[in-house]
Amino acid sequence: MICRQFHQKNPRSLSQWWRFVSSATAPPSRASSAAADSELVSAIRAQDDIFKKPKMLFSSKNRCPESSWSIPIGISRCRFTTQTMADVPFNGVVDVPLAQTGEGIAECELLKWFVQEGEQVEEFQPLCEVQSDKATIEITSRYKGRVSKVVHVPGDIVKVGETLLKMVVDEDALFSQPSEILEVIKAQVPDVSKPEDAGSGLSKPKVGGVMSTPAVRNLAKQYGVNIEDVRGTGKEGRVLKEDILAYAARGGVLNETSASANQNLEGDQIIPSISSTYGWEYEDQTIPLRGFQRAMVKAMTLAVKIPHFHYVDEINCNSLVELKASFQRANSDAGVKHTFLPVLIKSLSLALSKYPMLNSCFSDESQEVTLKGSHNIGIAMATPHGLVVPNIKKVQSLSIFEITKELARLQELALANKLSSDDISRGTITLSNIGAIGGKFGSPLINAPEVSIIAIGRIQKVPQYGEDGNVYPASIMTVNIGSDHRVLDGATVAKFCNEWKQFIEKPELLMLHTK
Amino acid sequence: MAASQARKAGLPIINLLRVKGMPILQQLHLEERLLRTSSQNWCIINDGTTRPTIVMGVSGKAKELLETDAVLRDEIPVIRRFTGGGTVIVDQGTIFVTFICNKDAISGLQSYPRPIMSWSSLIYKNMFQGIGEFSLRENDYVIGNHKFGGNAQSITKNRWVHHTSFLWDYEISNMGYLKMPTRVPEYRQARNHAEFICRLKEYMSRSDFIDGTMDSVASHFALRSLDADDIQNSSSQFEPSSRILTRQELGEEASMELVGTVSQISYMAAISSTCPTSKIA
Repeated sequence: MICRQFHQKNPRSLSQWWRFVSSATAPPSRASSAAADSELVSAIRAQDDIFKKPKMLFSSKNRCPESSWSIPIGISRCRFTTQTMADVPFNGVVDVPLAQTGEGIAECELLKWFVQEGEQVEEFQPLCEVQSDKATIEITSRYKGRVSKVVHVPGDIVKVGETLLKMVVDEDALFSQPSEILEVIKAQVPDVSKPEDAGSGLSKPKVGGVMSTPAVRNLAKQYGVNIEDVRGTGKEGRVLKEDILAYAARGGVLNETSASANQNLEGDQIIPSISSTYGWEYEDQTIPLRGFQRAMVKAMTLAVKIPHFHYVDEINCNSLVELKASFQRANSDAGVKHTFLPVLIKSLSLALSKYPMLNSCFSDESQEVTLKGSHNIGIAMATPHGLVVPNIKKVQSLSIFEITKELARLQELALANKLSSDDISRGTITLSNIGAIGGKFGSPLINAPEVSIIAIGRIQKVPQYGEDGNVYPASIMTVNIGSDHRVLDGATVAKFCNEWKQFIEKPELLMLHTK
Repeated sequence: MAASQARKAGLPIINLLRVKGMPILQQLHLEERLLRTSSQNWCIINDGTTRPTIVMGVSGKAKELLETDAVLRDEIPVIRRFTGGGTVIVDQGTIFVTFICNKDAISGLQSYPRPIMSWSSLIYKNMFQGIGEFSLRENDYVIGNHKFGGNAQSITKNRWVHHTSFLWDYEISNMGYLKMPTRVPEYRQARNHAEFICRLKEYMSRSDFIDGTMDSVASHFALRSLDADDIQNSSSQFEPSSRILTRQELGEEASMELVGTVSQISYMAAISSTCPTSKIA
């Protein structure tokens, strides 16, 4: 293999190697390399349930989910680390963030440092101690290097993902290249036939004799990499995340650039394409996923494990339109804007009181359904920062007016990216008003560990036959209720939808049933 | 013989130390020393401590968590322990169970907070079959939705400690020293202390609980029973971090400096008589 020979003869730094092998592409930018790392961090943070979001118009696959409600023996899906995770170095200095160390942990308190600025640090050496919830945890270093700057002091609350310290990392430590280039990767469909140790709650660190963590094995699956083909560079031959990323990257590079590499090796003859002749360069842009987008990756990865079914119905909103107009006419507060959503939310809560199974969560490990007491109804919001789902707590105890104000508060915070972790956690069911943007209806994916999600389309005025046989305009809204078929059956969801529908079509019934 | 049987069975070896009435500060010092200086696995069962003592987590703030005026008035010792978690008041009615293990002691168990918490609940789960609806609720052991055991952990590079204080019995009046914490588990649902917790003695006898715990530990490990005399403090250089807070740290006014000094001396004298910091005999 030409590339293998080349690599053995010409050991270079990583950036030099990239530049030589892929002459037609620019050397990997910090962003592009960071993207690969970011994907890993997304996978590793997969149990972060701070952000729960629905997603529209996507297909689903069936897998068994994890649960965070009953005894969560989700060790097989534990993707945490007490090792710091670093972005790709820029000028040799790495921002080392606080990695996810536990389920639902959004932040930790820094208790003390074990190292100081200027100190040389070995791989796996303890850097600091943090506290999250019930545990104090030693955070160890991922890399060998020197501490250049300590960013936080003891007592600081550090959010997951926030930089803890900066390190000058040995390049050899960051990307330890094996002496042989591995074979080209064949794309593989991940095996979804059986969940990993879902019942026992204990994962096996070895697969076919290969030492690695569950997070690294999951990463290999995501990339379609057979982990047994990867040479581990960690201690005792352990396969590390860098080994998977490097293996995947080399496979991609070899697939895409082998032709140009051959050309280079045969005398530096570069044959420019037509577009480059005219100066048109369309470069790929790799965007590292952060914040809401990263959380959406995690939420949707969980969602595909749920066997969904979708129930679709049309709701006549003539009365709802009149009710909203009536609220607006009677509104004396310029700061309050009446929309359809609060009535839809309140009527949803009334329907949930009769069909509490839709306001529940399911534990795959214990095969239990927990009926949640509060109706914490999540509302999907599209913001400049991405999709976020804050929820209104205890809707059954709120009036429509109170819901209106709370909704406005959450919308304002969402736009400003200032939602608190409490605002976006403990939701029990999600409502997605995709119709506010457009579309007839959506096919939403459930926000695990909830069991149901409702997408409502735009209210459209269409002709309908009245009881007298004449045609009248009707404001019709299409709804799509996505449900977990392990918990809910079609009949239950249909009855629930009928119940909800009648409150919307006859809002006077809200007065009859509201406490 | 036990070691060979363990190897044959594939179970990790654990040293079981069962004591009664060990002062909680002494227990915490022992635990931290074993965590940081030992390479063996340990299970410590302390059947009740001595006088009522408040134990806060590593970053607990007395003013936020305690009714400090009452604590100072009644000279209740307040200890800040080396593990995370919340605040408890312990006394003779509290049973303590602690696990200190190497990170790879239990096959497949990842040394992170949640997996350890989940694993620990397996130790007690079977004991309550037919007795009560035991479960791990967020980070607490509950019967139904009443807490009877609180947990805290410390995870180091290669080892971890998970310790639990079980409410065998408690004085409701002692709960008056604790404020309602700002950070509470969701299932608490604004209940006060009395409505939130329950007494383990209403479900089983004290000896049944301790014996049942030891039997359960024996099913997960190969036990090697030790007593306090067997544990020599070989690491005389080790300085434990759990300590008793001073009166000033509890918020006593600085203007009462002279009186405070005198009261501090008497405070420390009062509690040191029952919370020795000397090495384990």
